[in-house]
Amino acid sequence: MMTTTTPDARTSRSGLILRSAGFLLLWMILIGPAPKDLAVGLVAAVAATWTSAALWPAGARLSIPGIMRFLMRFLMQSVVAGIDVAWRAVTTPPAVAPGFVTFRTALPAGMIRATATAIMSLQPGKLPVASEPDGTLLIHCLDRREPVAQQLAADEAAFCRTLTDGGQHG
Amino acid sequence: MTILAHVFTLLAVTAGALLFLAGTIGLLRFPDTLSRLHALSKADNLGLALIVLGLLPQAASLTDGLKLILIWLLAQLSAATASQLIAGSLNRRKSGP
Amino acid sequence: MADVFTAAALAILAATAFGLFRVLRSRIAVERMMAVQLLGTGGVAALLLLGAASGVAATSDAALLLMLFAAFSCAAFTRGEEDTPDEDPQPTKEKT
Repeated sequence: MMTTTTPDARTSRSGLILRSAGFLLLWMILIGPAPKDLAVGLVAAVAATWTSAALWPAGARLSIPGIMRFLMRFLMQSVVAGIDVAWRAVTTPPAVAPGFVTFRTALPAGMIRATATAIMSLQPGKLPVASEPDGTLLIHCLDRREPVAQQLAADEAAFCRTLTDGGQHG
Repeated sequence: MTILAHVFTLLAVTAGALLFLAGTIGLLRFPDTLSRLHALSKADNLGLALIVLGLLPQAASLTDGLKLILIWLLAQLSAATASQLIAGSLNRRKSGP
Repeated sequence: MADVFTAAALAILAATAFGLFRVLRSRIAVERMMAVQLLGTGGVAALLLLGAASGVAATSDAALLLMLFAAFSCAAFTRGEEDTPDEDPQPTKEKT
């Protein structure tokens, strides 16, 4: 199926090179651009690329505008999440009605869904605790009186727009 | 301009410290383990974000600023994964054998 | 400005210490693990502030390492949990 000369393989190879360049840049920001450290940085960048290729295949297409919109939304939501939980903590009595909700996600099991649930745990009032193979997520929420299911659906939709295929396969 | 930057730093750092305090208050007052995990992962996270934001205008160089942002990104990554791992582990413990 | 940074760092350290005291006394093993995350975030914030207050650039490297250690020990803890599923299911009751 996969030969090294197909255009797909070639784009994925250039994708990997781009990735290792990114990791090397990270290294230079963190450690500094001194030439004698750079050899270690190169090894680290290759190791990081190798790990990332195992976790997130180079063929997976991400949509840049989708990611930008998602980032904006994520940052706003993180602020809301922090203030929300801080407010709930300092009111008397603590304004929480903790409980569990289940939510059926369309995201495929594996790396994509794990990423989505990890991101979800930084969003206001929600903390995914378990994910079943059939797509049922068990989510702990701080306040069951909130429209949690709607918020979850909105989060999922925003996440799907970062993938060009809408998260149909993974 | 520097006065504005200083005021910004002052506000952000104060707000960040307050969020850490609120996170601890939540940790002390929330009724169950998972709610406490909410307090920890969300309030402290925003607290760190505000501290980093406040320190950015005071950074000596561009790389110092980038480094601050990278530390924050790593903190986000580690907070998200850690709370996932802790929550998952708690869930397995409860429903496990 | 340095005084403000130091004061904020001390406030965060105090908050972190209180939180640590609470989670480390907990009967639930998972809650004790939250101490690592708490110390990770709070420690990083305090280190960055103290670094800005003192002008010592190396503190940001220390903060970075602390963050990484926190992440790794969390992962190690949960892996260890999986290997020993029924380790201390009923720990000793604590007196309140």
